[in-house]
Amino acid sequence: MEIGLKVRQLALLAGMAACAFGVSGAEAAGKHKIFLSMSYIGNDWQAEAANMVKAIAAHKSLADKVDLQVQVAGPNAQRQIQQINAMVQSGAEAIVVYPISPTALNQVVKNACDKGVKVFAYDAEITEPCAYNVHIDQLEAGRVTAEWLVKKLNGKGNIIAITGVPGTSVDDQRTKAAKEVFAKYPDIKIVGEAVGMWSQAVARTELSKILATRSWGDINGLWMQVGCFTANSMQLEAGKKASELLPCAGEGSNGGRIQMLPQGTEVEGAAAPYAPAGAQRISYASPPYSGALALKLAVEAIEGKDVPKTTILPLPVVTNETIKLCNEGTWEEMKAGCNVFKPSLVSNPGWFASIFSDQTPEIGLNAALVGQPEN
Amino acid sequence: MSSGSSPVSMGLGLRRALMRNRGALIAAAVLAILLFIVDWISAGPLTYFDVSFLSSGGATSALAAIGQTIVILSGGFDLSAGAVISLVNVVLASSMDPMAPGASILLWTTVGIGVGMAVGAFNGFFIAVLRMQPIVVTLSTMFILQGVTLLVMDKPGGFVSPDLGTFYLGDAIAGWLPMPLVVIGVVLLAWFWLKGTRFGTALYAVGSDVDSAASVGINIVLVRFAVYVIAGGCYGLAGVFISAQTGSGDPLVGNPLLLSMFAAVVVGGSRLGGGQGGPVGTVFGAYILMMVVNILLVLNVSAYYSTIAEGTILVLAALAGSLSHTSVLAAQLRAARARLAAWRAGMLPSQLEPIDRRLKVAEPSNAQRRPASPRPAFRLRNAEALRYALPAYVCLLAIVIVTQIWLGRAILNPGYWNSLLVLSSFLAVSALGQGTVILTGGLDLSVPWTIGISGIILAGMVNGSDSALVYALPVVLMMACAIGFANGFGIAYLGISPIVMTLATNGILQGFALLYSQGTPAGFSSPMLRWFMTAKFGFVTPVVLLMVVFVAGAVLLLGRTPFGRRVYGIGNGLRAARLSGIGVERTLILVYMLSAVCAAIVGVMLTGFSGQASLGMGDDYLLPSIAVVVVGGALITGGRGHYLGMLGGVLLLTALQMLLAGTTLPYATRAILYGLVVLGAVMALRERRLQ
Repeated sequence: MEIGLKVRQLALLAGMAACAFGVSGAEAAGKHKIFLSMSYIGNDWQAEAANMVKAIAAHKSLADKVDLQVQVAGPNAQRQIQQINAMVQSGAEAIVVYPISPTALNQVVKNACDKGVKVFAYDAEITEPCAYNVHIDQLEAGRVTAEWLVKKLNGKGNIIAITGVPGTSVDDQRTKAAKEVFAKYPDIKIVGEAVGMWSQAVARTELSKILATRSWGDINGLWMQVGCFTANSMQLEAGKKASELLPCAGEGSNGGRIQMLPQGTEVEGAAAPYAPAGAQRISYASPPYSGALALKLAVEAIEGKDVPKTTILPLPVVTNETIKLCNEGTWEEMKAGCNVFKPSLVSNPGWFASIFSDQTPEIGLNAALVGQPEN
Repeated sequence: MSSGSSPVSMGLGLRRALMRNRGALIAAAVLAILLFIVDWISAGPLTYFDVSFLSSGGATSALAAIGQTIVILSGGFDLSAGAVISLVNVVLASSMDPMAPGASILLWTTVGIGVGMAVGAFNGFFIAVLRMQPIVVTLSTMFILQGVTLLVMDKPGGFVSPDLGTFYLGDAIAGWLPMPLVVIGVVLLAWFWLKGTRFGTALYAVGSDVDSAASVGINIVLVRFAVYVIAGGCYGLAGVFISAQTGSGDPLVGNPLLLSMFAAVVVGGSRLGGGQGGPVGTVFGAYILMMVVNILLVLNVSAYYSTIAEGTILVLAALAGSLSHTSVLAAQLRAARARLAAWRAGMLPSQLEPIDRRLKVAEPSNAQRRPASPRPAFRLRNAEALRYALPAYVCLLAIVIVTQIWLGRAILNPGYWNSLLVLSSFLAVSALGQGTVILTGGLDLSVPWTIGISGIILAGMVNGSDSALVYALPVVLMMACAIGFANGFGIAYLGISPIVMTLATNGILQGFALLYSQGTPAGFSSPMLRWFMTAKFGFVTPVVLLMVVFVAGAVLLLGRTPFGRRVYGIGNGLRAARLSGIGVERTLILVYMLSAVCAAIVGVMLTGFSGQASLGMGDDYLLPSIAVVVVGGALITGGRGHYLGMLGGVLLLTALQMLLAGTTLPYATRAILYGLVVLGAVMALRERRLQ
């Protein structure tokens, strides 16, 4: 039996070693070794952000400079700590990280900084002072959207609020800022509130639960972090006309933005509910290009340029006045002001459309969809 | 064994010690191999600093998993472990004063362990004293604690004194021995002491066979209660450790540790269900799982493949731990060889002449049979099913009444009932799959990504066309059959524990879903499917009609078919089932296929309901799918439960969520209420006192 045990161990060892040789062959010489530590990749936003990071690393301006390795930590902060340690150990020059927790990584990030590694957090924040942060102002996001809704309702009406993931700073800041605005208008009443987990599917079940004991007629407006596309679809299913859709302040999904186009607009590939409906909307998002921008800034920081510790991205807000359809979705075209993509190009309505930044001419629609940089 | 000096008996003693600790030894060997591989393929040699980092990286899960192991050894199950870690973290982070950075390590460690033990006492009271099922008590505790944690601290922040970090992450002997290993060592030493006491023996006895333990005079209540308190202390210490490590608080930090904790226990060689294994192997198991992170990094495994690689490593580790002469796989191979030999000799039952070999039993004469006792009343015939299934319906009624009083528009509002049934349909379908698995004493953790991949593939193939549904639906269901077959094969023939096997499958499916969709799931549901899930005939959505048929089918399948009887047979005793001629392997494979097919149907329904598929759409269905089965009166260890009871559980939990969603209570309060109601609902399900 002991011999059997040894044989099995050897076989296991040989198998693993074979794997190892197969993969870790090419060592990039003269390139900056940069790691990307992602969180849970099982949702649309994360996958899109990862595509954009890969695309910018493959762009001709960076491809010769950057050796990028992407790792996933899952939803577990403990693992991300371990992962960042391992990245430092294996000689990272910079680490771009989607922080699972704004605080839990502080010690390990400080340790990385002490060893001269540049740590860039995108979308969410790391509170350790030596880290670089690239994100939008979440308080502003909550405030701007709530103010828009109040204005649409003339300061009076019943609203439903669908929040994000409880216990995260992003959700906390957005919700608190919005509620501060609503509190100023005594005639605005939040009659239903549910946790939407930043998912269209969850928004749908939560709205169905709320509507089991209420009807659309009792509600005047919606404030959601993610879910306007779903809410509009549900109203259409319930027999409302497109012109009767409630004003909805919410996410920057492509489906939601297509619905904002005036009813009857010719759009290739549109099929209800993923079709123009003239919905009254304000659409905002945490833009998924933040990871790509963080990578670009990380390279600049390694090369000795002066990079500010905090980069606050402009809040990408689109309203019915500014909505404009893209033809191909190149960066040039988006720079000219288009901000929503045809369903024939983007078949997933939950896909996040806020991909334009004037600081990242390297990446356009193809970057976000399939990880291909612009020429 | 007093003559331990003679070489023969010493050899025997050593051999016996090796055999007894096989699980732990193999886990240690696997860990050593992994360390060796990392050392070999990473750039520099493995230094003390690497070891120090590794030891602190795995310490939190190792400490928590030690607690979980002790619970599992006693035959229990603790889902509140992750939530305790979060709670201790925020309690520490919110009560330390940033203005006075010095802090007493002893004081705060005591606070952390104390909080954990208090939660353990809460669990222990309901489980030991009130004799309720561990899984549902700790699940309720988990929800309650998540709420309490958010009340203590609603977002990440706070301050944990750096003194704690310096102490717990520092060196015990500079350059030689990192502190985390010492902490784990101390806990293990305490365990060895405990194991040697009468309590330790009683612990293993209770885990092996409660009835025997009770009949030799062991105080079951006390042992069980103490187990949860001790385990709570371990989670508390893990919470202190993660606080030291992160220097701050985060209300979500501990929750994702839960599943990997079970994996660590099983990889470390302990058997779920109790009586066998120990915390030493678990510590190695926790470190093996942590090392995987480093291995993926040095191998540069691409992001989309990482969950596939992890799943594969998990299965390989479990296989390595289970290979032995007495393992299931070895037994299966022997049986296959015996069958082959029998076939060669023409001795297989199917090869024998088809003559009636049944024992001749004398027919009772008509005269004797005539005064047959009257068929007992329905209430008596189904006494057990009623006793366990009714509480869910009684609570459902109470919730509906509360909804009527609080929100209005419930009882007389057909829309309310329709929404309740539509929203329940997802869990009702998954409850049949998960419920059948639980009836056999297993657990299917691959539900989330079976739902996800089914929805994604269906939406991608259908892409808005009704005619494509005709072939897309069978393709998705066939794929689910293959997934279920893989699960069942691994569990029945390779002898991998259901939790590990299905957890690994879940990760592998996640990887496939990402690869298939390239991160953005394409396509959307066809109009017909959407109509089916969302349209209304008057007040009724079409899916409700299907649910009626489904429920009837499920009741018949489990209650009136040979398959159903085999499922109950396996759950009541594997060995007895095998000896009475049940094809255990075949049945288990069918059970897991049923579970996967149910999950796939949920994926299809969700896609129709939402109009599109998304990654992670199944994530919210894992714990509820288990909870409804148990709330509906099923026994988590298998053999007892009725589908109608589970359906009651589904309706109860959905009605409760609808009630809570209609209010504007903060999320923390809702979580606490949810936990309390679940706990209250199953209070009636408590076991009768042992005779």
